[in-house]
Amino acid sequence: MIDLIVSKLHNRYEATKNFFVFVGEIFGLLFETIQCTFSRPFYFSRLMEQINHNGYGSISITVVIGLTMGLVMTLNFGYGLAKFGGTLYVPAVVSLSLAREMAPLFTSLLVAGRVGSGIAAEIGAMSVTQQIDAIRALGTSPVRVLVVPRFWSLVISLPLLSALSFAVGVIGGMIVCKMEFDIVPGFYLYKVFATVKFRDYMSGIIKSAVFGGIITIFACYKGLLTKEGTKGVGVTTTWVVVTASILILVTDFFISKIFLVIW
Amino acid sequence: MNEVLLELKNIHKSFGQHLIHSGVSLTLHRGESLGLLGGSGTGKSVLLRSIIGLERIDEGEILFKGERIDQLTENKLIPYRIKISYSFQSGALFDSINVFENIAYPLFEHTTFSYAQIKDKVAEMLKLIDLEGKEELMPSDLSGGMQKRVGMARAMILNPEIVLYDEPTAGLDPANTLNVVSLMQKLKKKGLASIFVTHDIPSAIMLCDRIVVLHEGKIIFNDTPYKFQNSEDPNVRKFISQQGLHI
Repeated sequence: MIDLIVSKLHNRYEATKNFFVFVGEIFGLLFETIQCTFSRPFYFSRLMEQINHNGYGSISITVVIGLTMGLVMTLNFGYGLAKFGGTLYVPAVVSLSLAREMAPLFTSLLVAGRVGSGIAAEIGAMSVTQQIDAIRALGTSPVRVLVVPRFWSLVISLPLLSALSFAVGVIGGMIVCKMEFDIVPGFYLYKVFATVKFRDYMSGIIKSAVFGGIITIFACYKGLLTKEGTKGVGVTTTWVVVTASILILVTDFFISKIFLVIW
Repeated sequence: MNEVLLELKNIHKSFGQHLIHSGVSLTLHRGESLGLLGGSGTGKSVLLRSIIGLERIDEGEILFKGERIDQLTENKLIPYRIKISYSFQSGALFDSINVFENIAYPLFEHTTFSYAQIKDKVAEMLKLIDLEGKEELMPSDLSGGMQKRVGMARAMILNPEIVLYDEPTAGLDPANTLNVVSLMQKLKKKGLASIFVTHDIPSAIMLCDRIVVLHEGKIIFNDTPYKFQNSEDPNVRKFISQQGLHI
């Protein structure tokens, strides 16, 4: 009986210890990434390459998700509010939801799937084929060479993608408003610009930058630790998409709360 | 005797409960080729990886020209990783860039050479490894033997003082083995010190000045290839016979 309790306590202790080690390593990687950013050499061409791949390459899915969100939200809010005679509030409600929550959140979740899994798979495959060891053995740092360009590429690109998603969503809403509820585009756009303030745009932009950082740090961290061949790469990819998505959702709540309180 | 370049003192290493090294000590002199032999899982590659800090030892000391390097941080190890290069068993080429970019990688990172100078140096190296004109090929377009040679060229491009070869002939057909061994002989003639981890006893005897045999975490033989072939040590005899050789 005592052995069982001791064993369970030991397991709890190990799990807790591993959790704190994991958190420490994640923050360690983040710290090293920032440190490497402000010391030479900085690989500007690799950063541009990653922005092209991770940011520019995500434009098409961003447009699709933005347009879909705008169309669906406007349709639902429109018919919902029509019951209470509130159709004219649709542009304000849709644009505010898009700017503060929906555009950054859905774009980030989609990018976590597309880019996060790609980064994890690429770095994971490099780990299992000893390419990461080769980078170290050749006197260079995997963090400087691989993590820094990917981290900044998404921290820069994701806010821009979210802004694009918002803009396309607003256009989608405008189309539905005109076709379904007879709201003219001029009135629609006037209400959008009158409702969404600078702080609402900033809330979405800052959230997206934080989500970009979360996606890349977790993808790179897990990728660098990948073992056990192709099976390990698969496990890493799944882990990164699930963990990054959950963290994006949880972090979204806290950032929203902070913005509502301080701004 | 030549200057001691590398010294390993009483190295201990284990992974969890699994003991890998238990008091391994050896020295490598300038220009010397040392063959590191032993059965599978005896920690030959781990020893090479420990030398350049890819693995951390639990106990002991690793000295390069008298300076202790086993406790250095990743950043402080960089100058030593330029002087001690590592040729990976698989080649470990970067698969997203071509042969030229792979070989030139250390030059772009650690020198201020112009692009033209780097191009010349890579061409010179490709000539040495008999792969002239293959600059534009991707690693996936190369055979296993070619990949290993490109990996060796990349390890050699910064003119290191020591090269650590991790099973360079493993998995190669006789023709490719001969290519790799003759490349190693060319490099040896240039005065490079090396540690050559292998199961390929004939190549080790042909190339090395000294043979070291690892068994159960310890060095059980450390002498010339001639004495290795004539050793009466039962573990050495057993190892030789296990490799299918009857010397």
